[in-house]
Amino acid sequence: MSLSTSVEMKGREAWITLAGELDAAVAGEFRQAIEQVAEQKPEKLVLFVSGLQFMASAGLRVLVFAKQQMGREVSIYVVGASGPVLNTLQMSGFDQSVYLQESYP
Amino acid sequence: MARHSIPANLAALATVRQLVTQACREAGLDDAASYRLILAVDEIATNIITHGYQEQGSSGDIAIAIEAGEQYLSVVLEDTGIAYDPRAQGMPTAEDLDKPLSDREIGGLGVFLALQGVDRFDYQHHDKVNRNTLAVKLPQAKR
Repeated sequence: MSLSTSVEMKGREAWITLAGELDAAVAGEFRQAIEQVAEQKPEKLVLFVSGLQFMASAGLRVLVFAKQQMGREVSIYVVGASGPVLNTLQMSGFDQSVYLQESYP
Repeated sequence: MARHSIPANLAALATVRQLVTQACREAGLDDAASYRLILAVDEIATNIITHGYQEQGSSGDIAIAIEAGEQYLSVVLEDTGIAYDPRAQGMPTAEDLDKPLSDREIGGLGVFLALQGVDRFDYQHHDKVNRNTLAVKLPQAKR
């Protein structure tokens, strides 16, 4: 199963929905989605990931890229992460820098 | 023991995960332990493909052997890319993991996740072959 990525601007918020498997082979698609929304200068980045079954460190690197690309004042929300994906985010300390939520808003 | 050979390119990672998923199911591993092993193998295979082969401008294969022993489900990855012990790269410290994303180095997390996720890890280099062994305990071994 590969990755599906959809992008939507909701006012000043950039919404990206990811589903499938996020590995090093397809992380570039996620990165492109970040680059696309970064141009709109969003105030918030909201990632809906309830359909994400697998995330490797390549996905974490795109989150780091997103923060560095958009600036530290842009808040990142990760919504609906499944157990293992949530565990990876927490083990890597990303829970200190992104908001992990079950639902949004 | 099941043996497979996959081309060392990133598109083959999904196949690697499928092979390990199947073996986890057959061995009766629970979802959490299965995911830890699948993630670990994915991360190490990613490193072999990118650092071991692609960055050297070379190509090749990764041999995968999966074995359910008495205590562990083991996955052995063998490649002939550049010699590289994943443990040689320093692990992120607690301080690194506490850093805000805006101050983070990109990279270094894959091996960390892999080594944290398995119960046993070994690397050997012999006759120009890298051998990475990743293993998780089987349920009956925990009793």
